[in-house]
Amino acid sequence: MQTTLLPRYSYESRIPKQGAGQYNGHLAGMTTSFLRNALRRRYVIALALTIAALILTMLLHQWIGAVTLQIAVAAVVLSAWFGGLGPGMMSALLLATGLIYYSIEPVYRFDVARVQDVVLLAVFMLVAILISSLAEARHRSEAALRARTQELEAANQELEAFSYTVSHDLRSPLRAIDGYARIAIQKHGGELAEPIQRYLNLIRLNAQDLGRLIDDLLALSRFGRQGLKKEVIDASALVKVTLEELKSEQDNRDVEIKVGVLPVCVADPVLLKQVYINLLQNALKFTRRRPHATIEIGCLDRNDGPVYYVKDNGVGFNMAYSHNLFKVFHRLHKSQEYEGTGVGLAIVKRIIERHGGQIWAEGGLDEGAVFYFTLDRLVTS
Amino acid sequence: MTDAPDILLVEDNPHDVELTLHAFSQHHPGKHIHVVRDGAEALEFLFYTGTYARRPITGQPRLILLDMKLPLLDGIYVLRQIRSNTETSMIPAVVLTTSREQRDIYQCYRLGINSYIVKPVNFEEFSDVVRILGHYWLLLNQSAIT
Repeated sequence: MQTTLLPRYSYESRIPKQGAGQYNGHLAGMTTSFLRNALRRRYVIALALTIAALILTMLLHQWIGAVTLQIAVAAVVLSAWFGGLGPGMMSALLLATGLIYYSIEPVYRFDVARVQDVVLLAVFMLVAILISSLAEARHRSEAALRARTQELEAANQELEAFSYTVSHDLRSPLRAIDGYARIAIQKHGGELAEPIQRYLNLIRLNAQDLGRLIDDLLALSRFGRQGLKKEVIDASALVKVTLEELKSEQDNRDVEIKVGVLPVCVADPVLLKQVYINLLQNALKFTRRRPHATIEIGCLDRNDGPVYYVKDNGVGFNMAYSHNLFKVFHRLHKSQEYEGTGVGLAIVKRIIERHGGQIWAEGGLDEGAVFYFTLDRLVTS
Repeated sequence: MTDAPDILLVEDNPHDVELTLHAFSQHHPGKHIHVVRDGAEALEFLFYTGTYARRPITGQPRLILLDMKLPLLDGIYVLRQIRSNTETSMIPAVVLTTSREQRDIYQCYRLGINSYIVKPVNFEEFSDVVRILGHYWLLLNQSAIT
């Protein structure tokens, strides 16, 4: 009867195994992988480039003798670019040796006769060191970025497994709470005193509320993690489709909706639709008490780009608390007056920010609200 | 000689079992529901092995309600076994589970599930689901097995 807890709550099995190749912590593993990777690719490329440069200078010495040094520098630059410090320096040393032997007086000997050639070689080596160091710095930061990205991806997958488990395991006991309370009322309602019936109903209500909270939290985490698939979208068409889907909220109400000209934009269509769904649902919700509700959807043409907005003449909010507007579960209205868990705007903010944009709002108590957002830039004002 | 059950309910959570049986008794009284508590027991029942080796061979259930999260052998494994054996491959199987994740749904359909239902938290909705399932699969649906 008692199910084992461990297999149920282990997240590890749900995370696919990462490729173990390059990031072995084991020293032997590191050495062999270094040898395998490094020798095979970076140094071989550098060697090939160096030999090519040497052959070039040797064969074409009579015609391009004047530019042997430039060819040598080019070879070092390329070697360092593809390989970093080691290959760059290796290339430089080989080329210097080759040049001393083949090009610099006396030829075919490892002596350097003239002082200016010594200076030339010294400058060449210095330049080689400089270039190789810069290339190495670039390689290092790229490797760090790759490692960081891998870390983030692993963390993301862990979070995914966590949310998955949470959604199941929190909902099951909720179902039991709601179910048993309901059955108790159903089967024994008549025998129970009024307060007890009321308590049981409250148990049910809270269980259902908790269920909605879980769903909303999951939605929030999903919108934060989803990959963005940007496309060119006709925003006007998107808004019109969204309004069609929200028709039922406008039944038996006097709602006037104005849709202005919305330029074509680049965004994830599913996520942008979610933004408009949430903003328009809010607009419809908070204008419920108005005999004549007006909602305006449009776009401002500012110098630095378009600013989209959704405006309503609803109950508005107190600007003093506007910084809490987009926080998770923060509500600026009493839940008895306006339902909702307070996650809609947090989702909108997350989506906008993932697009690289910014969202802000203006409003006044009983004076309606306007929500502005950009899709591609941060606004300084 | 007892007839084969109408429904084989494969569910490990005792509360979900009780709530499901209660809902069935409300909407479809008289239907015989046999409950097994894990994947292994489900397979033993369907293939007349283990504890069910002596089960009178009166036929298979008309519907299998399968939860995915089961101890011992999980729902996917059970589903695979059911669908790959000729004695059981044509029994309607409906997944009744907590997960709404796309990959779970996809995997189940790939293995040949007849339907995928997510258990509602609200008991009224849950009761309604049970009513509809019973009506559809036991009354409306034509079984391949006589």
